[in-house]
Amino acid sequence: MNRFLSTLCALLITTITAQVSAQEQEFETVMTPAFSPITWERLVNSKEEPHNWLMYSGSLDAQRHSSLDEVNINNVADLELKWAYQIPEIDRAETVPLVVDGIMFITEAPSNVVAVDARTGRQYWRYDHELPEDLRICCGRNNRGVAILGETLFMSTLDAHLVAIDARTGNLLWDVEVAKHDSGYSKTAAPLIVKDLVVTGMAGGEFGVRGFIDAYHPDTGELAWRTYTIPGEGEFGNDTWSGDSWKTGGSATWITGAYDADLNLIYWGTGNPGPDWNGDVRLGDNLYSDSALALNGDTGEIEWYFQFTPHDIHDWDAIQVPILADLNIDGQDQRVMMWANRNAFFYSINAADGKFLKGSPFATQTWAQGLDANGAPVRVPGMEPTYEGIMVSPPITGGTNWYSPGYSPDTELFYVTAFDGEQIFFKRDEDYEEGERYTGGGGRYDQPMDAFKSWIRAIDPTTTETVWEFPIMPRSSAGITTTSGGLLFSGTADGYFFALNAETGQELWNISLGRRVHAAPITYQVDGDQYVTIASGNVVYTFGLDE
Amino acid sequence: MHLKASILWKGLFSIGALSLILVGLPSSAEDAGTLYNTTYDVLQGERYFERQCSRCHGFDAKGNDETGAPDLTGRLSRANNPVGIFNVVRNGVPNTAMLPVDADLPDAQVWQVVSYIESLRYDPASVELDGNPDAGLALFLNNGDCASCHMVNGQGGRLGPDLSRVGESTRPEDLMTAITNPHEDVAPRWWTLEITGPDGVTRSGFRMGEDSFSVRIMDNDSNLWSYQKNNIASIERIERSTMPSYDGAMSESELDDLVAYLFSLRREGN
Repeated sequence: MNRFLSTLCALLITTITAQVSAQEQEFETVMTPAFSPITWERLVNSKEEPHNWLMYSGSLDAQRHSSLDEVNINNVADLELKWAYQIPEIDRAETVPLVVDGIMFITEAPSNVVAVDARTGRQYWRYDHELPEDLRICCGRNNRGVAILGETLFMSTLDAHLVAIDARTGNLLWDVEVAKHDSGYSKTAAPLIVKDLVVTGMAGGEFGVRGFIDAYHPDTGELAWRTYTIPGEGEFGNDTWSGDSWKTGGSATWITGAYDADLNLIYWGTGNPGPDWNGDVRLGDNLYSDSALALNGDTGEIEWYFQFTPHDIHDWDAIQVPILADLNIDGQDQRVMMWANRNAFFYSINAADGKFLKGSPFATQTWAQGLDANGAPVRVPGMEPTYEGIMVSPPITGGTNWYSPGYSPDTELFYVTAFDGEQIFFKRDEDYEEGERYTGGGGRYDQPMDAFKSWIRAIDPTTTETVWEFPIMPRSSAGITTTSGGLLFSGTADGYFFALNAETGQELWNISLGRRVHAAPITYQVDGDQYVTIASGNVVYTFGLDE
Repeated sequence: MHLKASILWKGLFSIGALSLILVGLPSSAEDAGTLYNTTYDVLQGERYFERQCSRCHGFDAKGNDETGAPDLTGRLSRANNPVGIFNVVRNGVPNTAMLPVDADLPDAQVWQVVSYIESLRYDPASVELDGNPDAGLALFLNNGDCASCHMVNGQGGRLGPDLSRVGESTRPEDLMTAITNPHEDVAPRWWTLEITGPDGVTRSGFRMGEDSFSVRIMDNDSNLWSYQKNNIASIERIERSTMPSYDGAMSESELDDLVAYLFSLRREGN
């Protein structure tokens, strides 16, 4: 009997093995499951897996450059639509999706995220974040993206929470309150993973908040450290705020920063001092508003700062993505942080110590005669907002704003969406009330928007000179991505997605998508095919070549 | 131009003293919100608007294409009376960036905002003009030859804005400026573009549409042309009006008549 069973088992095993090998012969396709966990090492070395887009700016140095070159200057005109994903909530999409081994994670207004097949745009799962009714948000219901570590996504929400979501199912793992939303705090930016921590900023600079940058433990949501962007009593810089104004001075941190593993420094921008347009109640330089901060990657301590606009009274947040690269400036090889600021000046700064290297305007400006040897602005007198109004350039939205710039190591050029405009600035007297807007004025345009122009400008960061420029219609809020195919991708305010030659600025391809682009492009690969993705209006479009 | 009665807020005709007594008492969208529309209320509403609303809607309430906030100085899409405006301000517009105001904000203050928004528009009934609209119509059709360029109710030319409802959105003094100094404020739609196309032909026309990569014009013979910018030899933009100035071409009283006619052009019952 036993022998009989053994023989039967052996026969069965032989039969099954024979069937498998027959299947293998019949089907040459080998399938592998989508998605694999993301380690810190993979994030540090993200450029070694260009088929994925693993963080908001593509890599920790935030260059937004991909080494993919299947789509290139010779065939980009052949790009065709592969799929479109319609966001159900009608709002504007500022999302920069992530792609991890064939899965795309798209955030949606107000604070939702959906996982789709990156080849087809069809859904795996979605997470809808429940929001309270009494939100305090200044400028729309935005969310710009998620961060990933392990098998967990981390997302900022409009009610100033940070949530952790299972990347395989969309299940909520934890949800922590970062700050009180009814006091004026909110969160819109993608977090940044630094080693084993989730680093994240906040918004609320128009509500008299006190800004900070936080780091959370990814497993528990427990706060690891908090660094305030306005020094407390007794701390260095607190005396740059008159009276108690530091308590309500804004300096929010609403865009994602960068990280350098060799220097172990986190680079993060800070927003306007509050109230935005009335500086009378906050005399002094107002540290660390409108600054680049370099924070210790383990402790969050401020190692150095560079304040672009001391005592800002025009709402020119230093909320831009810092870009890091190795450059030779003035005969010295050095790690450089490049920054095109809302105040219309471009800066090259030593990333190790914050020393100013070079700077000059990249967009029309009337407020400063130039920069001094330390990079501080030499102001034109009489450009402060008044009760009657005064014309100043750049306007409130700046020479550029939060939308991502790019840098290509192939061309060694820095690319920015620039706006040449002007606006009348007004000052008003307001008292702080918790949870109420606290801006002290505002602005209005004196001409139709069509009278102005936006540009893609390519800047040589070693000289800060503009090498080429490409005109687009005004007040674009699209980011820029470059590739080793020699391409620059971006979008426009009038609903185009387009590609330029990154070396020359020559137009190569465009397609009208019909609605404003508020987002930055990404590029990725699935099964060897390169794709390019952009959000326009309420739709996420993905393009590729004919297979 | 002489305006017999200067432009008055609707609120000045209401019972201002009573509104002061009622400030602080509870009210709702259903009751007489228009009590809160004295000059004082409008100014209070403007103050609140500048602080709480201008970030999206603009300091001049003319909207913002970047935030998607609509222009509040023209026709409103979500409300057509004060109660409607009150409800939008109080409740917000669900699933959009238009959030409700603070739930603790007293209704009286919401009404002040409503009064400010109302004040951005014109109450034509409060305006009395010197001119005679019937005489203005005759000028429009004959001496002025306006109809060769402008349409009114489907009749007229295509070389200027349709004026069928111009009285709803334009103040008499602005109408006068548009007639006597047409270059002062030319909407981008009425700029002229001179384009030399891929066929080597230079065509001039009104700027129907222009974007980052393409442009569309209508020439003086009403032909519609579309160009790709990367395919044209040259493009020149002229931001002046094609309309002649009527300053000196008509007497002062004739200009008043013409303004009176144009100001009368509104949708019936508006």
